Amino acid sequence: MKQISLYADRNSFVHDLDPISKLYYILFSILVPVILPSISVTLICSFLSIILLLLAKVFKKALPVFLLVFIVLITVVIIQGLFRPGNETIFLKIGPAVFYKEGLLYALKVTLRVTDIVGAFLILVLTTKPSDLVESLVRRGLSPRIGYVVISVFQIIPEMTSTMSTIMDAQRARGLETEGNLITRIKAFIPLLGPVVLGSLVNTKERAMALEVRGFNAQGNKTFLNEEKTSVLSKPIQLGLLLIVVMAFVWRLLT
Amino acid sequence: MQKQSMWSLKFSTAALVLIPTAVGINYIGKLFAGLLKLPLWLDSIGTVLASILAGPIIGALAGAVNNVIYGLTVDPISFVYGITSVAIGLAVGILCYKGWLSSWSKAALAGLIVGLVATIVSTPINIGFWGGQTGNVWGDALYAIVLAKTDSVWLASFLDEIVVDVPDKLLVVLISFAIYRGLPGSVSQMYNNSNKFESLD
Repeated sequence: MKQISLYADRNSFVHDLDPISKLYYILFSILVPVILPSISVTLICSFLSIILLLLAKVFKKALPVFLLVFIVLITVVIIQGLFRPGNETIFLKIGPAVFYKEGLLYALKVTLRVTDIVGAFLILVLTTKPSDLVESLVRRGLSPRIGYVVISVFQIIPEMTSTMSTIMDAQRARGLETEGNLITRIKAFIPLLGPVVLGSLVNTKERAMALEVRGFNAQGNKTFLNEEKTSVLSKPIQLGLLLIVVMAFVWRLLT
Repeated sequence: MQKQSMWSLKFSTAALVLIPTAVGINYIGKLFAGLLKLPLWLDSIGTVLASILAGPIIGALAGAVNNVIYGLTVDPISFVYGITSVAIGLAVGILCYKGWLSSWSKAALAGLIVGLVATIVSTPINIGFWGGQTGNVWGDALYAIVLAKTDSVWLASFLDEIVVDVPDKLLVVLISFAIYRGLPGSVSQMYNNSNKFESLD
């Protein structure tokens, strides 16, 4: 069955860290550039994320995501460079298009901020198995029922995608037009989606009964199948990141 | 039939199991929209259906789980837009509870309201994150024009989001309503949280 998660199995110290420390890191990479909104700070944070991605040996897998983001960022650079209110200093003239310094600087800021945040999320996403993440959240007080809900999505989606291709073939065999002009394609949407939705809703009934029979609603302490991955580094890392955020805040207040 | 309060936090197992299915439906909706090369996202049908069937809280949860899963599997940026999904789930659930989803014309109006809610929630996120753009070609072209004419980032960003979001959410609500009307009673009654038992002896 097709794996839908972005997780990449490698051997690195980033992989060995617990998911909660990575969540702390995301919080850190969002908060520090918000508290100290200068280009150099955001640049440092972005570089830190990219270095960590390289150390985790997942940079290659991160590239396609970054590329997708950069396509949007290019339009940001163009639009902000040309039209941002407050544009005064002319920076570059290409034919009739005039790029202004203020807009370009702003676009640079947006680019760095997006790189920083996407990088931080990618560290979590590429180096953590979704089930590990959910399990460590459940250990820290997330309801196990919600935990089940999140994990089961990873089973349901591949199931539904395979139903979907079956239904697509079946409806085409009955003569449903799935290509042509926009109206034809819109009309094809409901006969394709309807059976998948109905089938999966009927399935939820069986799933619910199966779960209840197995004590899904039982009270009492839940135990875990796997032992928790702990690292000696996790406490110092979490404290260190919090300390930097607090220091950044104090710095902002003092200057 | 007396309905239980729509804000009840006591979920039945069926309602909880509806959440992963809703996320799956969102995923499939987006896939089909991509396969048929439709110019809209259509990626919140599951969230809307979950809200109609099981109320605003389940809808909001489905929205949140949806964006977390998307963030983990496809596109980390969707974590940031989780708030919009939650808002869509809540809006549909409340409108449905108030009886707005009872006829086609009312459903269309509800779709417009949901689109507006999504726009209002997304605009600040767009401004904070992208400097106001959405990443949709048509919306961003409008953004550039309005920005050049009026000098207001907020107006430009709001219009950018509204031209993309309102048609999308309108269609999503109408499609979900069509599917909901087609559901057999045994399915649509299942998630009703009223927990009333009748005994025959």
